Amino acid sequence: MTVIGLGHRTSWSAADFYDQARAVAGALRRRGAGPGSRIGILSANRMEWVLLDLAALMIKAQTAGFEPGKFTPDADLVERYDLDLLFTDVPLPDDAPPQAVPISIVADHAGEVPADLDPVQWATTDCTTVKFTSGSTGVPKGLEATAGSIDSSLHAVQGLFGHGPGDDILTFLPLSILQQRYWLYSALYWGHDLTITTYQSVLAVMSTVRPTVVMGVPAFFDAVRRHIENSVADGAEPAEAVAEVFGDRIRYLWTGSAPADRAMLDFYGRAGLEIYEGYGLNETCIVTKNYPGATREGSVGRALPGKEIIIDDDGVVHVRSDFPVNTRYTFAAPGSSENIFGPGGLVRTGDLGRLDDDGFLYILGRADDVLVLGNGKKIIVRPVETRFRDTGAVSDCVLYHPSSAGLVAVVSPLPGPVDTGAVSVALADVNAVSEPDERIVRVIVADEPFTVENGLLTSQFKPVRHRIAHRYSNRIDDPKAGIRAY
Amino acid sequence: MPTDLDTLARVKLSQVLRDHPDPATLDPSEDLVEVYGVSSLNKVLFLTSLCKAASVGLHNFTEDDLARMRTLDGVVNALRPHAVPEG
Repeated sequence: MTVIGLGHRTSWSAADFYDQARAVAGALRRRGAGPGSRIGILSANRMEWVLLDLAALMIKAQTAGFEPGKFTPDADLVERYDLDLLFTDVPLPDDAPPQAVPISIVADHAGEVPADLDPVQWATTDCTTVKFTSGSTGVPKGLEATAGSIDSSLHAVQGLFGHGPGDDILTFLPLSILQQRYWLYSALYWGHDLTITTYQSVLAVMSTVRPTVVMGVPAFFDAVRRHIENSVADGAEPAEAVAEVFGDRIRYLWTGSAPADRAMLDFYGRAGLEIYEGYGLNETCIVTKNYPGATREGSVGRALPGKEIIIDDDGVVHVRSDFPVNTRYTFAAPGSSENIFGPGGLVRTGDLGRLDDDGFLYILGRADDVLVLGNGKKIIVRPVETRFRDTGAVSDCVLYHPSSAGLVAVVSPLPGPVDTGAVSVALADVNAVSEPDERIVRVIVADEPFTVENGLLTSQFKPVRHRIAHRYSNRIDDPKAGIRAY
Repeated sequence: MPTDLDTLARVKLSQVLRDHPDPATLDPSEDLVEVYGVSSLNKVLFLTSLCKAASVGLHNFTEDDLARMRTLDGVVNALRPHAVPEG
C-alpha cells in the first residue's frame, strides 16, 4: 500500500497497515463509534482516508464518503446525514459541530497500540457505506451499498482480470467514490499492491510508481493522449513517450464512468496499451466490462457474473443483480427511488442501449437526452455530439432543440483563442454526414471550456446539460446568436 | 537547463494551447486558467513537461505549490530556484 503525491511518498506492508487500522478502530471506539454508527469522511485522498475506511469495517460502523469541494463540514451536513463523527481535511470554523474533527488526528491514532477486536460479520444485506451521486442537480442523492453487492462485484472483476502479487493498481480519483475503494479491498483480498494518489499528482508520479493497472476516466486518458502526441511531435519515440508517462509495466488501462471516444481507445491500442471500457452506475455497481479475450469495439463489454441486462421496449437498459446495491435511496427527494429502483432488484438506468447476439452491450445515449422534434422524430443526441467532438475542433458538445428551426449545439472550446473558422468547418463536416433531422443549425461557443471547477462538468467529466443550458440560454434561444450552418 | 526558463515555459505552455500560438506573444502575467483556458489537467501536463525539460524535479513542489502557480511568471518564479544553471 502506497500513498504518493508531490513531495511525499509513504508505503506500508499489509501487516503494518492492518495494525494501524486496528489502532484507528480502537480510537473510533473510544470516541463512541461502533455497530450502527455512521462516520463521515470529507477529505482529499490520503492515507487517513483508507485507514478510517478499514477501521470502520472492523467495528461494523458505516462510512459516508463526501467528495471534496461539494460539501461543507458544517452542522447541516452532520444533521442531514445523521453522522456520529465527521473527519475532514477542510479547516474547521469556530462554530463547527462537535462531531467534526480534523482527519489529521487519524495519523496520530494509527501510531497507538492496535486494539483487540473481535471479528465482525457483515451480512450480504448490511450496508457498509453511503455513496452519493455526482450531484449534477440539487442535493446529491445518498445510497447505502450492501456488503453483498461489493463482494459480488469484487469477485466478478477478479474473475476477469486475475489481479495478484506483482500487480500494482494505481488509483487517483476521489476515494469518496466507492469504486475507488474497491481496489483497497481487492488488494487486501488478493495480495496485489495498491498506489493511491491524487488527480493533481498522478501525472507527475505515475512513471515512478510503475503501475501495472491505471484506473481513469476517459477525459484523463484523452488528455494524456494529447500530451503523448505532443511529445512525439517534439521528436520522442512513441514507445518512449508512452513509457515516460505510464512507466514500463502497464498490463492494461481501466476506464469507465463516461463514454470513451473511439479515437482515444484506438490511440492506446496503437501504442500497445490495452484499454478496457466498462459500464455501471452508482445504483448498479459495475455491470459490464470488456476484458482480455472478450472485447468488442464500440461496446462496453458483456454482463459480469451476477448481473443481467434487460432492454425494455423503449430501448432503455435495466439491470438486475443477484446482490443489488440497494433497493432504494436512503437520502433523496420523495419519488426519486421509485424512478430508478424496481421490484426484484431491477434498476432502470436511464441509458439507451442494445445487446448484440453475443451479449455485448452498446450504450447509445441517455433516454433523457432524446430530443423529440416537431415532426415526432426522436434524435438520440449523443452520437451527434460525439461526431462533433471527434472533429477535434472542440473539446465537448451538447445539443439542444430550442425551436423548430433545428438543433443548436453549445460547444466547449479547446484551450486558447477560439478558432471560429475551424468550428464552422467542423459544423459543416458534421452536418454533411448526419441525417437531415440531426442537422445542427447553430453553434454557440462557450465563453470558457466546460470544467469541473466551473460546474459544467461532473466530477467524472460528463457535461452537466441543464447547467450549460441555463448559462447559455439567451444565446441558445436567440436565432441570430452563434455560428450558423450554411 | 537547455535554454532559459522563461522561454522554455512559454514554449511548453504554447504546446498545450490550441493552435500553439507564438510563445513570444503569451503574456506572463495573465491567469493560465481564466485567460488561456488551461484546464486543471492541462495545467498539470504543462508543468510536468516544463519540469522535465528544465530538469527540475516535480518532487520539489507540493500540490498547494502547484495551485499557487496561476501565471507563467508564477510558474517561472517557482521553478527558478530549483533549476540547474546553464554550463
